[in-house]
Amino acid sequence: MLELYISAVVFGLGISGILFLVSIGISIGFGLMRIVNMEQMVYYTFGAYLTFALVSATGSFVLGLICGTAAAAVAGFIVETQLLRKVYGKELMFTMVVTFSVFLIGIGIVQYVFGLASKPVGMPFHTIVHMLGAKIPLYRLMVFVIGMLVYVFINLMLNKTIAGKAIRAGIENPDQVRGLGINLGRIFTVTFVIASGLAGFGGALNSPLVGVTPYMGFDMLLFAFITVILGGLGSIKGTLVSALILGQVISVGGTIYAPLAFVGPFMVMFIVILFKPTGLYGVRGRAFGFEE
Amino acid sequence: MDKLSRYLRGPLTLVVLIVIARYFFPNKMTFLVEITTFSIYIIANDILYGYMGMVSFGQPFYLGVGAYASAIYLAHIGNNILVAIALALLMGLIAGLILGPAFIRLRGDYFALINAATCAMGLFLVEKILYPITRGDDGLWYRSRMHATPLLDLRKPDQFFWFAMIVLFVVMIWYTWLDRSAMGASFRAIKVNENKMKFLGYDTFKIRWTGYTLMCILAALAGSMYAINYGFVNPSITEPARAAEVLVATLLGGAGSVYGPFFGTFAFLGLKDLVSTFVSRWELAVGVLTIIVCFKFSGGVWGTIQTMGAKIRSRGKASAQSAT
Repeated sequence: MLELYISAVVFGLGISGILFLVSIGISIGFGLMRIVNMEQMVYYTFGAYLTFALVSATGSFVLGLICGTAAAAVAGFIVETQLLRKVYGKELMFTMVVTFSVFLIGIGIVQYVFGLASKPVGMPFHTIVHMLGAKIPLYRLMVFVIGMLVYVFINLMLNKTIAGKAIRAGIENPDQVRGLGINLGRIFTVTFVIASGLAGFGGALNSPLVGVTPYMGFDMLLFAFITVILGGLGSIKGTLVSALILGQVISVGGTIYAPLAFVGPFMVMFIVILFKPTGLYGVRGRAFGFEE
Repeated sequence: MDKLSRYLRGPLTLVVLIVIARYFFPNKMTFLVEITTFSIYIIANDILYGYMGMVSFGQPFYLGVGAYASAIYLAHIGNNILVAIALALLMGLIAGLILGPAFIRLRGDYFALINAATCAMGLFLVEKILYPITRGDDGLWYRSRMHATPLLDLRKPDQFFWFAMIVLFVVMIWYTWLDRSAMGASFRAIKVNENKMKFLGYDTFKIRWTGYTLMCILAALAGSMYAINYGFVNPSITEPARAAEVLVATLLGGAGSVYGPFFGTFAFLGLKDLVSTFVSRWELAVGVLTIIVCFKFSGGVWGTIQTMGAKIRSRGKASAQSAT
């Protein structure tokens, strides 16, 4: 019985890693640009599909990982510079519908190129680690460790570099940052490209675990939103903490009673929003239109 | 009398146009019924978004409340279709009154997402917890249990069409009235500046609550019409993934206008229908078209029709003046 729960916890950690990577873009989009970017999941899908294509063509998973991340970043760059710039500052619903349309277009492109069928991606390695009698695939642990490394890296970037400080200042008060003569538009682009690259990276890492389908983004979209809301908008630390919580809710909850894997995160979000609408680490009154 | 005809003219024209379309394209009747039902659903969302400026990601939940209220009654308790519809309306009212106070104090994206959460939990409820009553994914089938109703036999598709027309007519009259009444104006005022409303002495909480409850009732009505038209209900009606099509249809038609929801539904369902007959992948086409509509025709279909109409009228006036 104990082995079951130990492996459930480790599976949850793997899910947390993916959730964290995928949600950063939405969190930053909420916090910095004041838009709801639903199209983040396009980059997730692109990353996963490119990994699939390269793994089946060359057999190298690392190459797939790199190309998936790069393709997602390029797609993010194109979307940001061509479309999203015109959307900044518009009302919430408008940004939502525009980015959702981008999401639909992305799904359409993926369907056009790869077809509708779900496709499996080979695991890069099948090593099993024994831990207190439980058999744990090393790959899941690796995904979690990578997620943590990305968190450390982002934190260093935000706290130690000038660009990172400008991003944090932009989340606090965009007008003041513009007033200081900082080109916020360029910072938006750089942040967006990094975020979409990370979403693609998350998709690439997740592809051996779930396989790739054109609609894989839909499933992830709601969970990513829950992660962001639970953690608090624009807070990277909050996103990490809520990803860790949700990973356990999905995995351990799903072990106890199978339907909880789907509905558990929603229940957690429901309770948190009702009692603490700003999320775990959210700043009071920062999010759009929310007045206390 | 003159005042009454102002409320009747628009809805009557709309219904007459649909009836004409039904006889010109007899094989499109199910499509027209679907548009009618869906546009009531979109009107519900439009009260919430277009008038009060509250975005919800969980509209399928409210549709599901009505659909399941009717379906459970018809499958387990009684046989009368009209009672089933009344029950759905009642359930919508109850849902609005109970959930309202908890939800409407949230703003912006929090309101949107708590609705998404409610929707997911509603799906869970009908799929798993209420399995003995709702039979989960198999759905409820009750077409044979429905008894004939007086005047119009709602079990027959062609008579249901007339019933849908009557419902649409009544809803559209009510909606036209809402657009011009003090209530509609206070909904709009909340969207623009709620603090100022409070300052003027209005209880904005009550106004929001009223709007939210009206939305619940209308969505439940649409759900109940779905349930009776198809004769079965399964959990896919409350899927959170379907919340997006409601938002797209609302924006496509032009939010916050009387005929926007209908034309939005017509454009959305029509495009989906049309595109999927030519290419199997409708996502790409609908995505591109929505972006074009968002940037080029920000008023949606109905807003564009209105501005075009105004242009033609002013040109006509100008030419008439130059002629004299």
